[in-house]
Formats: sequence, structure tokens, C-alpha cells
Amino acid sequence: MNRGNRILLSCVYWAFVLYVFVPLVLMVLMGFKDSKFIGFPIRSWTLDWYTGVFDDAAVPSAFIYSVVIAVLATAISVFVGTWIAVLLEGRKFLGRTAMFGLTVLPALVPGIISAIAFRIYARWLGIEPGMGAIVWAHAVHNVPFVALVVMARLSTLPKSQIEAARDLGADPIIAFLRITLPYLVPAILGASIFCLLLSFDDFVRSFFLGGYEPTLPVLIFAKLRSGMSPEINAIATVALILTAAIGIWAERFTRRMNKESRNG
Amino acid sequence: MSDGVAPRTGRGPDTTEKNRLTFWGALSSWTPYRLVVGLATASPRRQFLILAAFPLLWVLTQHLGPMLQMLRVSFTDAYPVAPGVEQHFTLDNYARFFGDHIFWQPFFRTLIFASVFTFCTLILTYPVAYFLARHVSRKNQMLMLLLLLIPFWVGEIVRTYAIMILLGNTGAVNQLLKSLSLIDRPIPFMYTSFSMGVGIVYLTALYMLLPLYSALEKLPKSYNEAAADLGASAWTRFRRITLPLTLEGISSGCTLVFLISTGFYATPVLLGGPSTTVFAETIAGFFHVAGDEWPTGAAFATIMFLAAIILTGAFQKLMNSLRKGDTN
Repeated sequence: MNRGNRILLSCVYWAFVLYVFVPLVLMVLMGFKDSKFIGFPIRSWTLDWYTGVFDDAAVPSAFIYSVVIAVLATAISVFVGTWIAVLLEGRKFLGRTAMFGLTVLPALVPGIISAIAFRIYARWLGIEPGMGAIVWAHAVHNVPFVALVVMARLSTLPKSQIEAARDLGADPIIAFLRITLPYLVPAILGASIFCLLLSFDDFVRSFFLGGYEPTLPVLIFAKLRSGMSPEINAIATVALILTAAIGIWAERFTRRMNKESRNG
Repeated sequence: MSDGVAPRTGRGPDTTEKNRLTFWGALSSWTPYRLVVGLATASPRRQFLILAAFPLLWVLTQHLGPMLQMLRVSFTDAYPVAPGVEQHFTLDNYARFFGDHIFWQPFFRTLIFASVFTFCTLILTYPVAYFLARHVSRKNQMLMLLLLLIPFWVGEIVRTYAIMILLGNTGAVNQLLKSLSLIDRPIPFMYTSFSMGVGIVYLTALYMLLPLYSALEKLPKSYNEAAADLGASAWTRFRRITLPLTLEGISSGCTLVFLISTGFYATPVLLGGPSTTVFAETIAGFFHVAGDEWPTGAAFATIMFLAAIILTGAFQKLMNSLRKGDTN
């Protein structure tokens, strides 16, 4: 391979890493700046913005609200998504392609359009804006991701294991519960973490379906519209550290689970 | 497989004491469960119908339902319907779109912006994906990919804010240029199509990077080596082998990024200016003003969705014909 090309490409890679990290690093740094004014240079440092966040009750409550929504939405989408995946990966049936198309539809609809459609649909069904509506919209939006991840895992399940269970007298449901479901655990866990993060960070659906109580991204958005302040940096930094930590942990966890199930 | 699963004991119901203590064992000796299973196993056909009914109902009511309802509302003259008001069907909402430039200008702007940003994302991430897939050892590949994944777990609003800090008048880029004495007054990056582009590329890059990476990773190295043996230059090898064989990754990455970037609302609001209003802001306006004009909003959202679907469909068709053309 051409050595010059290789060096050039590695420069591009590291430049991209900078592009991806520098904005976040700067944002974190600004949260420690001892001045209300956002901008460089930083002359003195402080933790006041972080302690201030906890004095403002709106921030912790928005945080808890977001977490509760994410957990509920994830539980629903994992249940439904797994069910759809099992159906689609099972035997061939008429309209399977159409069913697959419908399954991935919410993932392909641009954010604003999906938010509007849900808003109209919720009104039609008589669902008031608020927690229930947000959970429902997030759950529907996350189903395709769960279904795709679980289908990928299902396609690698050795069919002989199910056949063996059936030969030994297990009915289809017992065979599913004892063979298929344990095999799917890594995929289901991975998909759950992904859904939790998607739902926790989702802005547009939470914004259009929310009542008076804001989720964390909606709260940060509202604060941003009234101007930048280091307090927002502190809130955003906490959100950033949490999501990144959960993401890294999930990545390592699913990798380990995949390795174990491949070896074992 | 896992500790919670009791060993299978043979034909018929599990009656051993050990099985009774496990969750599945207890479940399978529970009478209502036996009844359901009996019903389900009566015939494979009925069993399939039971399995299929719930997901089918879900995708029809939850995945298709909102879109159809939006379509229906877009043809009405009043929604939500106030008591005592009669709802009529009309095409006025669609006619409104063509009647005023403040509506169709943001629409075309959005499509152009999304295309340009998608192209920028492709140009930016292709070399990165290429480097990761072709020049890095397998062990480092995962680590270096993970390094890029971390920031993408952070949400849309937080990352948009990070770009605001980077590009503001007192932001890092301006301060850096100033301290290098390259400029003496800050360059107004913010509230332009440039700042919006930087933000949107930042938000969507991963959706391009991953399909490109997996396409490049699947490409056997021997193809390039064979071409090199036959005397093809690096550029020719890239143009005649790598690029055509990764068109599928390019196609799915571009489709994803295009669809996502047409749907952003918060990022253009925060990073864009008055001259860069996108269609998402126009649509949202109909839901937020007093005397809600939902039907018009629904019609405009339908127009945008159809345009996005038609454009990405045409793009996929083009890529497919390019791919076929190359194998002939």
C-alpha cells in the first residue's frame, strides 16, 4: 500500500475525531468558567454552575421525567419489537415484505413529520399531550430498531436447537421460552440500551407531544432560546456524561455477551 | 445457555421438583397457560394466526395509522373540529403551498440543504470509513470505531449547543483565529447556512459512516491486489473497483442521512438564521400559532414526506442502475 496515502488517510481520521470531540470538550470546559459570559478565554474556574443546577428544582425533575419516559417507552418497544421480529424471522407468509416495510416505516419518517403525525393521531384518539403521549410516540418510534436488532440475532440461531427441543416433546411456546428467548437476551439488552438513549435524547417528539412538564432536552432547548448560559453547559455536561457512560457500558456488555455466546 | 433455564426432562409436562422451582417450569404447569398452549398447538395455522394478530394490529394502527390520519386531516378544512362546526373536505391546504413564496421557498431550501449536507457528510466520512476498514488492524478497528461512536450517543440538543459554542462570535474558532492574528473582528459563522451545515453534518455523520464502513469491510482486499498486479494505478483502482463495489453502502447511507436531515427542527431553529428557515419550522408554525391551522400543517408535512420519499426512491434507482451498469 502507498505510504503517503496511508498517512493522509490517518490525518483525515484524526481530524474527524477532533471534529467530533472538540465541540463537546469545549462545552464541558465552559461549564466550569467563572463568568456568566460564554466565550474564550477562560480566566478563572468555578463549580457554581453545577451546584446552581440542583437549586433549580426544574432540572432534576425534568431529568427524572425523561428517565421514567425512556424506561416505559423502552419496555413497550422491546416487547413489541421482539414479537414482530419472531414473526418476521419465522416461516414465510403472504405479505411478509409488506409487513417488514410497515415495521421499519417509523424509523424512516423524518422527525418533524413523525412528530406532527403523532400529534394529530393523539388528538384523534383523545390522548392528551403529556407523559402518556410521549411514551407512546417514543415506543412506536423505537420498535423498528428493536425488531431489526432482534431479527439479526434470530437469523443466527441454529434451527437444530429448536427442532431438538420439539423432538423432545416441548410445545412451540415452551421451545420459544427455553431456547429462542435465552438466545435473544444479548440482542434484547443491546436494543434496550439503544432505545433508552434514543428516547432520553429525543427532542422533536417530546416537544410536540409534551404537556406543560418538559423533558430534559425540551428544557435545555427552552433555556437556549432565552440565551446561552454556563448553567446550560452544566446541565448538558451531566446529560452528556450519563449518556456516554451508558453507551460505552452497553457497547462493552453486548460485545462480551456476543463473544460468550459464540464461544459457548 | 443460562442458569435460569432448567434442563429439559423429556416428553410431556415437567413434573420434577426441580422444574417446579424454576420460572418456566412453574409457568408450564400453570393451568391457564396449559389452556392457551392447548389452543395454540391445536393447529399450526391457528398458532400462526395467534402469533401474527398482535404485531399486525400494531403496525397497522401504530405505524401506518398516524400517517393515514395525517393524510386525512390534510384534506379537511377544520381540525381539531370545534363543537358546532362542520368539517368539509377540501384541497385548499395544498393550494396554499403553491400560493405563497414564504411556503415553497423553505421547502426547496430544505431539499437543497439536505442534499448538500448529505453530500458533505459522504465526502467527509468516506475517507474515514476507508481508513478504518482498509488500513487499520482488526483489533484497533473496533477501538477506533468506538471512539467515533461515543459522541453520537449524546443527544441532538446538547450537540447543537456544542456547535453554538464552537462557532459563536466569542467561540473557539474565532478566538483561535484572533490569537493567531488572522482576523481582527470575529467572522459571523452563526445563524447562517454554514453553521447549520456544520451542525447537521455533526448530527448525521454516524448514519453515513456505519453503512460505508460495513460496505468497505466486506470488500475483499484481493480485488485491489489483482488490479494492482495488472498495473492499475491507485486512483484507477479506487474508481473502478472500490467505488462501484461500495455503491450499496453509499446509497443506504445517503438515503438515511437525507431523510434524517430533512426532519430536523431544533437544530435549524438554534443554528440557522432568518434567511435559512427550513420547512420543518414552517410546518411547526401551523401547530404553535393561536387559532391552530393543523390541516395546513398536515398538508405541508404530507408534501414534504412525499417529496423526500420520491427523491430518495429516485436516488436509489439511480444507484441501482449504476451498479448494474458496472457489472456489465
